Amino acid sequence: MVTKVMKIILSPVLALIVGVFFLGLARKIMARIHWRYGPPLIQPIIDMIRLFYQKSVSHGCIFDLGIILSLAGSIVVVLILPFGQICPLAGSGGLLVILYIMLLAPLGMALSGGQGANPNISIGISRKLILALGYEVPLLLVLLSVMTHYKTISIVEMVNIQQSTGWSIISWPLFLSGLSYFLILPAILGLRPFDMTSAPQEISSGPMVEYGGKYLALAAIEHAFVLFISIALFVNLFLGGGANLITFFIKMLVVFVLGLCINAVFPRFRIEQAIKYLWKWPTLLAFVGLIITIAIRS
Amino acid sequence: MDRNQITKWLKAPAKMANKYSLHAIYFCTGCGIIEVPPVITSRWDAERFGVIPVATPRQANLFLITGYVSVKTLRAIIRTYEQMLEPKYAIGFGSCPINGGMYWDSYNTIKHLDKYIPIDGWIAGCMPRPEAIIIAVTHLWTLIDKDMANGYVKYRENYEYYRKNQEKVLGELDWPPLYSTE
Repeated sequence: MVTKVMKIILSPVLALIVGVFFLGLARKIMARIHWRYGPPLIQPIIDMIRLFYQKSVSHGCIFDLGIILSLAGSIVVVLILPFGQICPLAGSGGLLVILYIMLLAPLGMALSGGQGANPNISIGISRKLILALGYEVPLLLVLLSVMTHYKTISIVEMVNIQQSTGWSIISWPLFLSGLSYFLILPAILGLRPFDMTSAPQEISSGPMVEYGGKYLALAAIEHAFVLFISIALFVNLFLGGGANLITFFIKMLVVFVLGLCINAVFPRFRIEQAIKYLWKWPTLLAFVGLIITIAIRS
Repeated sequence: MDRNQITKWLKAPAKMANKYSLHAIYFCTGCGIIEVPPVITSRWDAERFGVIPVATPRQANLFLITGYVSVKTLRAIIRTYEQMLEPKYAIGFGSCPINGGMYWDSYNTIKHLDKYIPIDGWIAGCMPRPEAIIIAVTHLWTLIDKDMANGYVKYRENYEYYRKNQEKVLGELDWPPLYSTE
């Protein structure tokens, strides 16, 4: 009982530490790719301390509650998602529950931004929702083929099967699905070819435009959680989870650095180009993968 | 980070975080903005010092006023400065904001920027080199350490004076006063 409570308290903290470390690492790696020296690794923490000490301006009740809602949604997903061998609420649901709760994060941001009443926020939110429409189609197909292949919706069981039989990304029918998930990962994370949601040069960083002070710090924490969740889901579903925390985090790090390399060299898509891309290659791969999986399994 | 800095962090975390996380607002006020891209990109890399450009005044705490200030820009500058969250720092870049510079007899530029918003430091020159921004940042650190970068406090205390000067140039202001002025 006590260990379970400890796990419930500690796993979001651990996820937050890893997410913030990734934020700092992202800035450092981007700087080195640009041939710059780059900020110290703890720069996001310095920024957060500064933002928490700053005065902040609220735009109303929903503006405050929306960001807390999205933060809460992310924390619940972290509790359901297994990482390493830690999964505090393993019996509480599988992939389907995660799919539903993952929607809370962008929804909370959209609610919060709606009260900001800045036109840039509306543009950013509409782009975010269109982009979500773009990547949800291949994501659902990918998850469907994974669930069909393992005949379960529990991520913990999927990880256990992969621990005994090998990673699913190198097993034949799921290879196409894994590739498709990796292709849409930058869109889920909001990395460079797909960062039209928060484009600073076009729409003044979109949904974040009215956030300052504590709100911006909470938004940064929320971003760290989203980073952790999306990569951890990929590692769990396709790279065989982790026998312990160290291997799990090393796998996450490799996936993240690969994503960063894409982020560093690509320019930004327009929104309709992004939809065209997302509904063409990743969807096609995921669809073919699903058909093959069903054919083999039945 | 040396041991000396750790004690400073423990003693005054807010001050240290303000020093090392200066987010400059991305707002082109005049000719001098052309010196800013080399500072924030590969050549001079201001991100080493925690200085990055951000797109909105809500997220920023450093305001670079680069080059001459026309009357029309002054309106935007004042609104941007008032939207920034405290503590906030403003730096005048180039000789035009200091005393008018080469536009000293122009009918359409203002001569002394610090009559309209409080300025924490000046970078003189026409144009200053990009390195001057980095030197200005290190000077600003010293000022923050000694609690002398308190332009926003001055603005709050003498708001009536600043508002009167702003109204003298811009006519009737179409936004409510930031602080009550009785």
